[in-house]
Amino acid sequence: MIKVGIPRALLYYQYYPMWRTFFEELGAEAIVSPVTSRVMLQEGGARVVADTCLPVKIFIGHVLSLIGNCDFIFIPTIRSIRKNTYNCSKFLGLSAMTRAAVPEAPPILDIMVDVNKGRLRLYQAIYRLGKNFTPYPHKIRQASLDAWRTQLKYRYMMSNRGLTQPQAIAKVLGTSTPESQVESPETKTTIAVIGHPYLLHDDFISHRIIPRLKQANVKVLTPEMLADTTLESAVMKVMGRIQWTCESEIVGAGEHYLRSDVDGVINVMAFGCGPDSLMMDVIRRQATRLRSTPFMNLTIDEHTSEVGIITRLEAFMDMIYRKQRARVAVCG
Amino acid sequence: MEAYLGIDVGSVTTKLAVLNKDAELMAALYLPTQGKPITTVQEGLRQISEQLPKDLEIRGAGTTGSARYLAGVIVGADLVRNEITTHAVATLQYIPDVQTIFEIGGQDSKIIIIRDGIITDFAMNTVCAAGTGSFLDHQALRLNMSIEELSQRAMESQKPVRIAGRCTVFAESDMIHKQQMGYRIEDILYGLCQALVRNYLNNVGLGKEINPPIVFQGGVAFNRAIVKAFQEELNTEIIVLPHHEVMGAIGTALVVHEEMSAGQRESQFKEFSISDLEYHTSSFECKACPNLCEIAQLSQNDQVLARWGGRCDRWERSPESSRH
Repeated sequence: MIKVGIPRALLYYQYYPMWRTFFEELGAEAIVSPVTSRVMLQEGGARVVADTCLPVKIFIGHVLSLIGNCDFIFIPTIRSIRKNTYNCSKFLGLSAMTRAAVPEAPPILDIMVDVNKGRLRLYQAIYRLGKNFTPYPHKIRQASLDAWRTQLKYRYMMSNRGLTQPQAIAKVLGTSTPESQVESPETKTTIAVIGHPYLLHDDFISHRIIPRLKQANVKVLTPEMLADTTLESAVMKVMGRIQWTCESEIVGAGEHYLRSDVDGVINVMAFGCGPDSLMMDVIRRQATRLRSTPFMNLTIDEHTSEVGIITRLEAFMDMIYRKQRARVAVCG
Repeated sequence: MEAYLGIDVGSVTTKLAVLNKDAELMAALYLPTQGKPITTVQEGLRQISEQLPKDLEIRGAGTTGSARYLAGVIVGADLVRNEITTHAVATLQYIPDVQTIFEIGGQDSKIIIIRDGIITDFAMNTVCAAGTGSFLDHQALRLNMSIEELSQRAMESQKPVRIAGRCTVFAESDMIHKQQMGYRIEDILYGLCQALVRNYLNNVGLGKEINPPIVFQGGVAFNRAIVKAFQEELNTEIIVLPHHEVMGAIGTALVVHEEMSAGQRESQFKEFSISDLEYHTSSFECKACPNLCEIAQLSQNDQVLARWGGRCDRWERSPESSRH
């Protein structure tokens, strides 16, 4: 059986169930790299120029960890999934950059997704990808339809049932979720954590921000729990138009949660990320303007010590608890 | 006589404060950490106990600062609290209507925004140390000057020179350049203070609503030239409290006081005599997974008191968990 390696980084969090369905339908096996570790960051970081952002360094580390375990590595180029809205340049050049940085990697399967070029071009791209596994066009068509159905189901689980991406992936694959879905009744505080899924759900990069909050009995909301239409209209409200593919994860989710009844919003961004630095600023200004919800930005880079993150999280939660206590004292 | 102890172990200095039951300051201490938090805390306890009456009973102890967990284990702290909360609580005790707190320490700086006596926003510096005390320390060292002298000379400036304060490295080359051009050292030094203030306001204070009353605290508030530069930049009065350098410790003692009097708990404080005990720290690399975490451990007489530094809880051990 042909083995297709999928790095557990970047777009993995948004599309893994879809990709896996596609490859399995075509008789291949999807192999996912293990969870991020310090070794991956060290090895990945050594292959690329120093200015490369942390998530890409980690991506290269994941590719390195797949060498020897698979026949192909799948690195799609998601250029645009919405008309006149484009992805960050690091995503556009990812497969080319990987080829240059990791010459010993198995052949890279690439597919260019750009909806601006029309449906036909997209179908042709899917067909070209499928041809690596089968000569029959109808099988490729069936596999891509099944994959799309999986994607819709996956997205529904998050936006309608409040699952996070790792939880929904576990559900789609039928593996048991490590943490139970039942929230303890005494969770009184809700925090929205916004940012790219490859930062929020990678416990190595994020220093376990979400598990730490949950441990402190806080209910955590993330961008993927909102429907795409909600996210997009929130971006439109703030910006007037949607420019970046990933804009809804930060500007959309940020705007929505700042106006909702959450007790606080935490934005997680990677140091050196161009789009993030612009989008974070939009939300920070919005938080200042609205004055309704406490907001904190956490910038993460490879040198960030856990202590710095813990201190800020503690101070942020303390601020919210003291505020709640003061409100109780005034009212009651 | 009952009292409450707060200890703030920062990167550069360690601060201790003891409050009586009416939250009045009985004793305070400010000493350099010198990279040895454990012995500094022990030494601090020894020194402060000499200032205190013999019949004093510590009803609660707390720690804050970057070494708060380590210090907490050593003294038997009843609570360990972050620096933001403790600084704000202390300032509110003295200036109840404070709206903005600037705190500049050795390696980090913070801004705390307070409205109606409640923290509503805060920020701490990120990777950059250009707006902190170590920036000034470094420049004073280079000019072969004590930090006190730097402050004094800067106050004599008549026509400050503009120094690029974006980064310590650039500021240094800019200063050297200005020195070589023949500008007066006083003017360069005050220019440096202005650069630090600009850097602080543009980094830590970015997007924050800075309203008076503004209270400035932390070690750098000793520097009158910085206070003056803040006043000129913001065109408003900057309040520097008498015990501005120990506010973190005072705030910790206040929080301990508040929580211990409410909860009727017995304090875990291990007495001032812990200054005679021998503590050892060591570290090792955990090889259980590819993360290769560096685990630090604190032990006393071959008994491990605490371990931390892991990404999972395989090695985590705090005094609470070992007690069961």
